[in-house]
Amino acid sequence: MRSCGLSCLLALLLLASVFFGCGQEERYPNRPLTLVCPWAAGGGTDRVSRQLAAYLEAELGVPVNVINATGGRGVTGHSRGLHARPDGYTMVLATVELNMMHWSGLTRLTYQDSTPLMSVNEDAAALIVRTDAPWQSLSDLEADIRSQPQRLTASGTATGGIWHLALAGWLLDAGMRADDVTFVSATGAGPSLRELIGGGLNMVCCSLPEAGTLLKGGQVRALGVMAPNRLEDYPQVKTFAEQGQDFSLGVWRGLMLPKGTPQQITDAMVVAIERVVQGETKVGGKTFPESMQIEGFNSSWRPPDEFRQFLVESDAKFGELLTDEAMRTVNVDRYNPMAFPGVVLLLLVACLLTIIMLHRLGRPNAKLDDSIRHGDVREANVTNLVVFVSAIAAFALFGEVVGFVPLAGAMLLVMFGWLGSRWRVSLLITLFLVPGVYQIFVHVLRVPLPRGLLGW
Amino acid sequence: MSTVIWDAITAVSEPRVLMIILIAAIYGTFIGAIPGLTATMAVALMVPMTFFLSDVEAVSAIVTTVTCSIFAGDIPATLVRIPGTPSSAAYTADAYALTQQGQHERALRTALVCSTLGGLFGVFVLAVAAPQLARVASQFTSYEYFWLYVLGLTCAAIVSDEARLKGALALLIGILLSCVGLGTDYSVPRLTFGIDELITGINFIPAMIGLFGLSEVLRNVLLMRRDDPPESLTETKAAMEVAESSGDDEPGVVSFTIRRIGSLLRSSTIGATIGMLPGAGADIAAWIAYAVSKRFARRPEQYGKGSIEGLADATGANNAALGSAWIPALVFGIPGDSITAIAIGVLLMKNITPGPTIFDASQQPRQAILVCSIFVTFSLANLLLVPIGLVAIRLGSMLVRIQRRILLPVIVLFSIVGSFAMFGSLFDVWVMLGMGMLGLILEKYRVPLGPVVLGIILGSRVEHMFIQCITKSSSFAAFFSSWLSVSLGVASIALWLGPAVLSLRRKDKSV
Repeated sequence: MRSCGLSCLLALLLLASVFFGCGQEERYPNRPLTLVCPWAAGGGTDRVSRQLAAYLEAELGVPVNVINATGGRGVTGHSRGLHARPDGYTMVLATVELNMMHWSGLTRLTYQDSTPLMSVNEDAAALIVRTDAPWQSLSDLEADIRSQPQRLTASGTATGGIWHLALAGWLLDAGMRADDVTFVSATGAGPSLRELIGGGLNMVCCSLPEAGTLLKGGQVRALGVMAPNRLEDYPQVKTFAEQGQDFSLGVWRGLMLPKGTPQQITDAMVVAIERVVQGETKVGGKTFPESMQIEGFNSSWRPPDEFRQFLVESDAKFGELLTDEAMRTVNVDRYNPMAFPGVVLLLLVACLLTIIMLHRLGRPNAKLDDSIRHGDVREANVTNLVVFVSAIAAFALFGEVVGFVPLAGAMLLVMFGWLGSRWRVSLLITLFLVPGVYQIFVHVLRVPLPRGLLGW
Repeated sequence: MSTVIWDAITAVSEPRVLMIILIAAIYGTFIGAIPGLTATMAVALMVPMTFFLSDVEAVSAIVTTVTCSIFAGDIPATLVRIPGTPSSAAYTADAYALTQQGQHERALRTALVCSTLGGLFGVFVLAVAAPQLARVASQFTSYEYFWLYVLGLTCAAIVSDEARLKGALALLIGILLSCVGLGTDYSVPRLTFGIDELITGINFIPAMIGLFGLSEVLRNVLLMRRDDPPESLTETKAAMEVAESSGDDEPGVVSFTIRRIGSLLRSSTIGATIGMLPGAGADIAAWIAYAVSKRFARRPEQYGKGSIEGLADATGANNAALGSAWIPALVFGIPGDSITAIAIGVLLMKNITPGPTIFDASQQPRQAILVCSIFVTFSLANLLLVPIGLVAIRLGSMLVRIQRRILLPVIVLFSIVGSFAMFGSLFDVWVMLGMGMLGLILEKYRVPLGPVVLGIILGSRVEHMFIQCITKSSSFAAFFSSWLSVSLGVASIALWLGPAVLSLRRKDKSV
């Protein structure tokens, strides 16, 4: 009796220590962090994210995994990062688009939904032309635009994107109309530059590092950079201000946590990032500013308060630009967005009707009989299909709550059982496979899988 | 030049570098062989590790990983019909049909040999003609790209010629799917039906896994009973019948390849030329090579139903494109795809600045050696691929011997993980599920699936290029303003009209 009581007490103590003891010891961070990058792998923001992740990892002592949540002109990634659980384990490398997209009505998300940590990089816009272009200076170009409006073409990003805004902003500032240069929508600076050297465009507006290789190779040159001062890496490029056009605009990238993140977590992160951007952490013998410089990024950072202040100012500036009447006319869609899908749908229906007609008209289709061998010999077992489909749907529905390991395990067992596998074999495979997959993905490959409330 | 090559060989043959190449090869093969994980992911995951490597080591690791993971992607494509890259979607139907006939090992070994040879050809082109080819690539403006994409789509539709209309139908479905979301040219998202997640559009990785992989699982499941005797994928009745009907007197892999060296050379040339064009070059290359291969084939009716010739040619082109994808990246610093984009980042970190002079040993000796070591590693990785690939094939082939009632749920698990992993979004699991159902329905009516994938990838690009073209100039003549656009345009129009005219004539005769 006594020993029973004792063991009960021990068990209770053990349980209590699991629930409370470890809870008190828990310090931030004690598990992998996710850094959401709102742009595609290989782009500028992705490169900065991956650099930053490597340094933060060295500084924090836990893995920092980069996820590219792309699309929707940055809406997807920013909302994924800022709508995450505010536990400090998901952050986002926000970009200037955060201050733009809500003005264009793409989303309601603004910088106010975030806890700004630190801005890490700013790159000013520049005007790039081919080396053999006739314009030697900004005023040459301006004169040409004024004499023949809407003849010249430019690109650099999608319509309404930051580089489009920079170009239109300059045109407006210089007293021209925003659409005096025809803006050709592109998927990014890379494709635009490709088009420029292929002779398909007159100028490209993008940052100097993006055109770095072509500038050094002499295929293109920069007419000016929209920064207050000349850039260290490109001392030969004059600023707009030097050429009598007081206009500056550019991109920024900065780390943010979701709004409502506890103060002590924010503080811990700020301390870590400060050490990184000040070059106190070394990875592979290089500091973060050194690595950024090698990759051609301008490493300038603002601490949290300054960053927040900067966000307020930048947001107001973009609001002014994007709600400007002249800018609105530029931002409007040139073509009907539904035209192309409409035509495709029409063709699709036509194609489908023709197939059905040909079939109805009794054109013998030997190939169709073939499909009997493929399957329809026996009555299809629809219940099987329903079970499999609902298992997958259950995963998609409850993955975030239940977590990968229990849910995938249950799913596998149900499917095995339904198909009539022996339960011992099923259990063995499930017990081996599910944790195995989890270990390999999360700890070896460091690809995050759904994390439930239990943590796995 | 020769001293540079010698220096590069010496640099690569350091024991430490060789060790890293070996590890990277195994790592790349491993990731590529997991259904749903791609070469892009393998490289992206590698970036943090390159911080700790020297320049030659980092470059070697990346190059080897890419080479091995692209080939390894063919393993799940063949065995469980989950293609690793969009370009392998061109021959997935053939590869999987061969598996059903019990010829998976032969199919994979052929793919391995052709990948290796194609890959070596690609390196050769990269090493010999990069600056010249780059000059050609730089002449491509939106008009040429528009026609190239049209040509790629055309090839995808016409290869399924048993019912060209069905090929077109599949293509149109894919193009329609590609319109979903917020595009480059418009300020409002399209066809999202109020679902916020759809603003991103349909990611092709989950779409591909669903269309090919999940739909095949669902088809199998649909025909299973609890009391069925346990059988594996290759033991089903249908598969057995097919296996019996096909002869066993097929030649060995090596003699097969030697006999087809001419057509392999042709496909590799197609792969290397089109693969150097940034933006979907490699994907289009595989389709065009497949279509051309079919045009010259002795048994074109086999294509799409387990043609080892089509498989051989398309994998060759696929891997040849791999080398030349580096051309625009190295010469202009404009990456061709996301893999080279990541690689460029690593190169910059290691003080290699891309540019026209990158191959010039007299100006930048250290850089020239590094670039040369890319070539050396590429060749080495391709050779190393043979033994590692053979082991992977042997291990992978065990999969198809597993009972279906065990294997199918496991494939479902990997389909889910694969579609989730790329972007970390559960919505992609829904996309995968939806596409699986779509694939099941399309297959029931014998509509080919490959063109759907190409439609998803190229649909929005075609539209985008078209809009770029008409924004720049409203006249239609501009679409034929250079000899390049004229030849590409005429080729694609002829491909559409030619067969239609022919079939009309044939119908007249038969009536």
